[in-house]
Amino acid sequence: MKTFSNRYIFLYITVLVMVIAVLLTAVSMGLKPRREANQKVEKAQQILRAAGYENVGKEAALRMFDSVAVRNDIGGRECYDIRCADGTDGLVVFVEGKGLWGPIWGYVVLADDRATVKGVVFAHKSETPGLGDRITSPEFIRSFVGKRILDKDGNFVSVSVIPKGRGGEIPEDNRVDAISGATLTSKGVNAMLRDQLAITTETEKR
Amino acid sequence: MKQYLGPLNKENPVLVQTLGVCSALAVTAQLKPAVVMALSVTAVCAVANLVISLIRNTIPPRIRIIVQLLVVSTLVIMVDQILQAYVYEVSKMLSVFVGLIITNCIIMGRLEAFALLHKPLPSFVDGVMNGVGYGLVLVVVAFFRELLGSGTLWGHPVVPQSWYAAGYLNNGLMILPPMALILVGGLIWIVNSRKGSICLPKC
Repeated sequence: MKTFSNRYIFLYITVLVMVIAVLLTAVSMGLKPRREANQKVEKAQQILRAAGYENVGKEAALRMFDSVAVRNDIGGRECYDIRCADGTDGLVVFVEGKGLWGPIWGYVVLADDRATVKGVVFAHKSETPGLGDRITSPEFIRSFVGKRILDKDGNFVSVSVIPKGRGGEIPEDNRVDAISGATLTSKGVNAMLRDQLAITTETEKR
Repeated sequence: MKQYLGPLNKENPVLVQTLGVCSALAVTAQLKPAVVMALSVTAVCAVANLVISLIRNTIPPRIRIIVQLLVVSTLVIMVDQILQAYVYEVSKMLSVFVGLIITNCIIMGRLEAFALLHKPLPSFVDGVMNGVGYGLVLVVVAFFRELLGSGTLWGHPVVPQSWYAAGYLNNGLMILPPMALILVGGLIWIVNSRKGSICLPKC
């Protein structure tokens, strides 16, 4: 086996790392505009979907979003006033939290009464495919429609994500079924809604 | 030629060498991520083999694992970025598992066992074949898991609604990781019980 001097080894690894650094930087910078454009379009599509606009194409999404939504932050949280697909006004609230492996986030569209959920979308960075990533599935998302984040007396209770059959005293209106096989991601969604929708409604009242 | 076909059959990285099992369990709940994962691993394995083979005579043996890791992780990061830029939806489905290709033992295994000792072209072919051998297992496992676990294939429903009406239920166990282990185990059993492909006496 050939032998190499220590100096060669140090030089070799230094040069290699530098070459790699330049290469990766170039790739990252080169693809950055495409990545960011993808993310922007995806965000517009997600919000539009939550507001009831079905199947908005990639090309149309940004234009459509600008025509129906106006940014209107509440208490420092990203919010939008939006005209929903059914013609009513809604409030889009950005929520973010922790899933099992990484961040999860979503947009909750509340109706004019600021209590009834008109629609939601969720997204995630790195939840398990086939398990946790089903928080983005149509079934899970649909189960939120019509739920209320306030109880009968008008106090904030959020929409709880509870395993099927363990809802207990929580009224049907204030809970949805968790995803089987994705307990921790479901808990993440539950905590995200409880913590962050509260901020919005409290600030709203003041 | 024969040696290059080994990974598809008698030397399948997953079924015979039991390498890369972790990701084979993780991304096979549905067909689509499994296929993209197979393609990504094949690309990384082939190009990493090629690069390491090209510089094999300059690599100091004492730091060869570090050099291999650097090359593999560079390629994986590039694959991840390219997926995010050009097939954004699919990259979201694969999420963490693209990054975990770095730790896939098949790739390091081929670099150590083949690319360090062979010329660039054979190394490249060897990488492709091992990626394909890995991918075949993923696709077979994902096919059964998605079909029996979700009643869909490539996201499209294939189990007729009338079956559900008649009392058919999707097997929830199929989409959980343990079932992937059982399926891979079953495949290993089938492959190793065929005449002439038993590896045990040799090992």
